[in-house]
Amino acid sequence: MAKWGMVIDLNKCTGCGSCVNSCRMENNVPNVGDKAAQAGRAMDWMQIITEYEGEYPNIRITHIPRPCFQCDNPPCTKVCPVYATFLNEDGLVGQVYNRCIGCRFCMVACPYSAKTFNYSKPDFPEAYEKTLNPDVTRRMNGVVEKCSFCHHRLAIAKDVARFEERDLREEDYQPACAESCPTNAITFGDLDNSDHSVTHLKHSNRAFRLEEELGTEPKVYYLRKEDR
Amino acid sequence: MEERKKVTPMYILFLQVFSISIIWLLFISVNFWIINLISLSRYLQDAQNATLVISIVILPLFGLLAGILTYVFVGLRKGRNPN
Amino acid sequence: MNDLRKDPDYPLYRPILESDRRFYWAVGFLSVIILWALVMYIRQLIYGLEVTGLNNTVSWGFYIINFVFFIGISHAGTLISAILRLSQAEWRRPITRMAEVITAIVLIIGGLHPILDLGRPDRVLNVFLYGRLQSPLLWDVTAIGLYFTASTVYLYVPMIPDIALLRDRTNTKLKWLYTFLSWGYQGTERQKHILNRAITILMVAVIPIAVSVHTVISYIFSMTLQSGWHSTIFGPYFVTGAIFSGTATLLVVMIAFRKLFHLENYLKEIHFQYMGMLLLVFSLFWTYFTFSEFLTGVYGNEPQEMDVILYKFTGPYAPYFWTMVVCNFLIPVVVLSFKKLKTIPGILFASFAVIIGMWLERLTIIIPSLANPRLPIISAPYIPSMTEWALFAGGIAVFCLLFLIFAKIFPIISIWEIKEGREEGLDEAKERLDSYLPDIIVSEEEAT
Repeated sequence: MAKWGMVIDLNKCTGCGSCVNSCRMENNVPNVGDKAAQAGRAMDWMQIITEYEGEYPNIRITHIPRPCFQCDNPPCTKVCPVYATFLNEDGLVGQVYNRCIGCRFCMVACPYSAKTFNYSKPDFPEAYEKTLNPDVTRRMNGVVEKCSFCHHRLAIAKDVARFEERDLREEDYQPACAESCPTNAITFGDLDNSDHSVTHLKHSNRAFRLEEELGTEPKVYYLRKEDR
Repeated sequence: MEERKKVTPMYILFLQVFSISIIWLLFISVNFWIINLISLSRYLQDAQNATLVISIVILPLFGLLAGILTYVFVGLRKGRNPN
Repeated sequence: MNDLRKDPDYPLYRPILESDRRFYWAVGFLSVIILWALVMYIRQLIYGLEVTGLNNTVSWGFYIINFVFFIGISHAGTLISAILRLSQAEWRRPITRMAEVITAIVLIIGGLHPILDLGRPDRVLNVFLYGRLQSPLLWDVTAIGLYFTASTVYLYVPMIPDIALLRDRTNTKLKWLYTFLSWGYQGTERQKHILNRAITILMVAVIPIAVSVHTVISYIFSMTLQSGWHSTIFGPYFVTGAIFSGTATLLVVMIAFRKLFHLENYLKEIHFQYMGMLLLVFSLFWTYFTFSEFLTGVYGNEPQEMDVILYKFTGPYAPYFWTMVVCNFLIPVVVLSFKKLKTIPGILFASFAVIIGMWLERLTIIIPSLANPRLPIISAPYIPSMTEWALFAGGIAVFCLLFLIFAKIFPIISIWEIKEGREEGLDEAKERLDSYLPDIIVSEEEAT
């Protein structure tokens, strides 16, 4: 059983935001517009959190790209009253948009603020409409959504592998953010498979997980930023 | 006064029987609901024991309430003056 | 009819028999507010939660605050009335009915609040079809459903003798309703026995149900890992706060009806003194819980926890937090400890302060924890929109309206319990008091 996970090297991350944008394109994340974004309703599944340390001018900035951590012990799935968010058979935390009642309990329970809510009817500009990804559902007003590790790509990759009668390879299934990262800061693969580079990276002495002490067992590792 | 008490109008009798059946309908539907949730949790392998424990607490209480109301209703009607 | 006017308890029948123009004015005014809230809610149904001030970090706002607040108020009723009945406090007689009505009405309002909060209210039935009892929200659904059933039954069963009185002694358009609801009660020995037995079982059953409901509501918060919420004290803390705000509401309602219906003869100074004592005790309880909740947080000095606490102590929520402390601790304790201030207007002032303070408590529990996420995410402040205010006002208006309508149909003070107090309570109390006192034992030597 594969344990899909991600390692993000904070040394390499420049905070360029291409993961955020490729994620939006890939997953039909609606653009909420300036006003709603300022009201705190931006819907980015992948979000870049910027941490500032020190006082100007001796400031140290760390960019932390934050997808959903797909915890092995997710606090969000426990509280869902209708099984609209659950740990699926691939070990990823799934969202069932058609079942979600929009109570936002999972958003409240997520310690990483990884979930977003459709406060208004998703509205795509006309030109954008043609570039929507047919593999990903368009969400409706009033449901919760979040990063899925591009689960649709896994489904396709599995099908292709089965058709070609071989095992799934590392390069078969890569989420959009990992694929588009210009500095290769995001590595993706099976955390239990020693052929995959994530397995070695997660044992690096720089590796850590965010809020690990909560016991949520996130599947996203970070490599600590080092001063050079 | 005496006359009126002896003959309760039909529609009031109907309303009273109706309200008792509503109470038991509520109790039965709560039962069905909980059974549905238990079978769902078994099907999804999702916190089965918690579901069972909670339902063991809830169901007798609903039953108790329905029972008390029926006891009061039936008892009051039976306890009327014979004349 | 004429003999009814001579009845010493006629003031209790009067609101039902005599129409008052003020009543219709009040109903009209409240209906306008409710209509406004309804229009705003329909607008929310059309546009979705866009019309609220919620955002992705502060994703619970007024609706959940008011949910907890209203359910808290509902505690007054059934719990206080059950405890007073169980402890055979004779002064309970004019109070119990009002307390129980508060519970039943406020539970309807409070119980509907989570539905206002849903992004997809059209799918609310999913809770029944695909619910998971693992989720604290389902615990709420079951607990509130049970509590609502129990408290309406507990309101209704002790009301049966009064309904029978109304059936026999009045001649209004609602006679059919009284005939239906009184189940042929005539006050025979057997019927009295059955009623007493049912009331006894109910009041024993209702106390744990009431306590569990508010505990379960606190679990919505304390079951998550949010700092400021993930606390073991939350169950009892919420129950205490609930009884506290409920007692205050009961006092306000008592004073209002005393004035409106001229019930000075029934709700005497002494009732307010006793209820005021209860309020004072719960104010101190509340302060104790708040103190220990924050002391553990501050002493532990965990950075996440401190973010939330400082947000309340000195941050943007400081005005609300300190107003809450003044309203919930300073005002009631000062007003209720001094005999000179402990008059009916003073108690009314303290009660209003407590109601406002308890609402602010729910606010300062819910928003600061959400506004301080664990990861340093840029979050927008939560500013409630007009819709949320409208629905809040609508909730209060529904409460007043339903209460007025109830008081128009049923006696707001239990007539038979007052009567029983006059006829049997006095002797019973004397007998009971005698049984408490040590018996005078005449030793054998002296006797001989």
